[in-house]
Amino acid sequence: MSGGLIAAIVAVVLIVRVRARLRRRTTGQQHTRYGLGPFRSDVGLVAAREMRERFRGKIFRVGTLLILAVVAAAIVIPTLDKGKPQPQRVGIVGALSAPLRAAVVSSAKSVGTTVHLVSLDDEAAAYAGLRSGRLDLAIVEGRELVVNKPVGSTDTSTTAQFVLAVSKDLGVVEAVEAARLTPAQSSELARERALPVHSLQPGPARGAAHTTSLIGLILIFVMLSQYNTWILIGVMEEKSSRVIEVLLAAVRPIQLLTGKVLGIGLVAFVQASAIVVFALVLAKSVGSDLLHGTAPVVLLSTLAWLVLGYAFYCWVYAAAGSLAERQDQVQSLAFPLSLPIIFGYIMALTAASGNPSYFFKVLAYLPPTAPFAMPVLVGLGAVTWWEFLASALISIACTAGLARLATGIYRRAILRTGGRVKLRDVLTRAAG
Amino acid sequence: MCGLLELEGLTRRYGRLTALDGLSFSVPAGQVVGFLGPNGAGKTTTMRAVFGLTDLDAGMVRWNGVPVGQAERRRFGYMPEERGLYPAMLVGEQLEYLGRLHGMSAIDAQTATTTWLERLGIADRAVSKVDALSHGNQQRVQLAAALVHGPEVLILDEPLAGLDPSGIDAIGDVLAEQARSGRCVLFSSHQLDQVEDLCESVTIIDHGRLVVTGKVDDLARSGPRRLVVRVEGDRDASWARGIAGVTISEVDGGAARLVLDQSMDSESVLRAAMAAGRVTEFVFERRRLSEVFREALG
Repeated sequence: MSGGLIAAIVAVVLIVRVRARLRRRTTGQQHTRYGLGPFRSDVGLVAAREMRERFRGKIFRVGTLLILAVVAAAIVIPTLDKGKPQPQRVGIVGALSAPLRAAVVSSAKSVGTTVHLVSLDDEAAAYAGLRSGRLDLAIVEGRELVVNKPVGSTDTSTTAQFVLAVSKDLGVVEAVEAARLTPAQSSELARERALPVHSLQPGPARGAAHTTSLIGLILIFVMLSQYNTWILIGVMEEKSSRVIEVLLAAVRPIQLLTGKVLGIGLVAFVQASAIVVFALVLAKSVGSDLLHGTAPVVLLSTLAWLVLGYAFYCWVYAAAGSLAERQDQVQSLAFPLSLPIIFGYIMALTAASGNPSYFFKVLAYLPPTAPFAMPVLVGLGAVTWWEFLASALISIACTAGLARLATGIYRRAILRTGGRVKLRDVLTRAAG
Repeated sequence: MCGLLELEGLTRRYGRLTALDGLSFSVPAGQVVGFLGPNGAGKTTTMRAVFGLTDLDAGMVRWNGVPVGQAERRRFGYMPEERGLYPAMLVGEQLEYLGRLHGMSAIDAQTATTTWLERLGIADRAVSKVDALSHGNQQRVQLAAALVHGPEVLILDEPLAGLDPSGIDAIGDVLAEQARSGRCVLFSSHQLDQVEDLCESVTIIDHGRLVVTGKVDDLARSGPRRLVVRVEGDRDASWARGIAGVTISEVDGGAARLVLDQSMDSESVLRAAMAAGRVTEFVFERRRLSEVFREALG
């Protein structure tokens, strides 16, 4: 879907450019950079200007390249690590029967690694190898397993998983040998399979969807912070440069503000879509498991909540921008506005690595924190479609009310110069 | 093109301060009208009110008898006192954008942009950023922004401020040309001599109220008649002293500036001067706009 969107946008841009070039040829004009696109309405004109200025800006271009580089690293590096697993080095002291040797190899395979067996003369050589790090595990006379450092059941390293698997598998083989079973019975036991376990509640998703939701969470945080700050500064600059008087002599405040948030929002959506498409294509081409399981649903949910989150916050930042007239005033206004974003982000990061609490689920229904909480719940498989829809509807309803309030503040504050306008003054005047 | 911009009973209060106090006047098409008043008189507030940038407590602005709304304002051009342009946007693109916001097609906006940049002598700065221009050129771009969409009403707040003589001439020519083509042109300024040169009419306000309005020629001829008389050999205008109905306002290098009462005729003054010696200068003097301004404001 995102790929189709990007293709459509590229096609529209190309058509507009070709039409503008043909028009300039027929009118004999020399300008090459004046085309404003096909938008006819005032809102469209304002949005088109915002888009063009942002796309041209170094911040956008360098920022996009940086994000793409980070996403590429996040996708490619794990696959490089996966593609070249380090073999587990196992020292063998004394005899190791063929079934036991096969069990060691099988254990390595079960945890996604390989094994390199080294025959040693005695235990002293094995201990020296373990201490120096040349060996990961020593098997003495097929009965005793020795490691340098203790291995716990919660240790997730490959070596730890391998050692635990060898411990279990060799124990089974020894038990089978001790039982003196017939070859046929031994063969049946060798084919043992764990029985599947079905749960009544959906379990937390891990792996691809989990990773994808984390990447999406970071994407939402970065983009909401960046684009809302653009709105804040953009509104302030129009006020401080006094161009606002020229603009409002031609268009209504609501048209100007809507065009601005729409234009910057479209830039954000195009950038996010490009990043997502890039991530999907790259993941597929390098064989990453980013696309496996519910990961695509998580990605779509991330995009949806990026749009909803932007729609909610853009009005707040626009209203704040209309109160400011200088850069230093922007800083003091931006900080309190960023607090719910930072709070939602941190809560979501915490919840993404474990079972979500009841409090976190409540956050998923509050518009300021829902853009962070809901995609994480989707990644964890801890939300139903109707819960997702309910949260989205709450966010849309609150956004509508907020837009109305923000445009009122903007209309009253944007032409008041001579210092920072106090919100209380604006609201008092509105009520009075 | 003909029309009439009417401002009727404009009232605006900021707490205890009354910026506009029932101000009424009109700006006819085809004239350059100077809008004068001391600092804080309410000129900028009045101009902003025309564009809906100031909420009025009372009063109305009409264009050809119709209350001015968004549709009418699109046909007006505005140059605010505190210049307003996007500093980092290219000059040509900025003018095109503003033209299109006033309802022009892309082609028309391009053409008008090219025309005005050439007309104002800054065609080579079309692809420069605004903040890279000199003050004078920024002023020209700002004027072009007010003109690019071919407005029927042109309202300019201090358009001559900070310009050198060539810049003033260039803008003055444009304003006169706009008026000749049948547009309403209202501009404020503190440079009264230039206003006198550029304007056919003036409107003077103070404390948000109308003080004087009328044609510059009429205002110059209004009030007591004034004569400048020079008599050969006379240094102190002693011949004029004692003539009933004549007041000596100034004697400068033998030239006597006389103010005549309504009852006094100039021929009697001429006879008295000729009796005192050879008359080398006998000129009726118009009142300067600066005098009208000072008298109007007390």
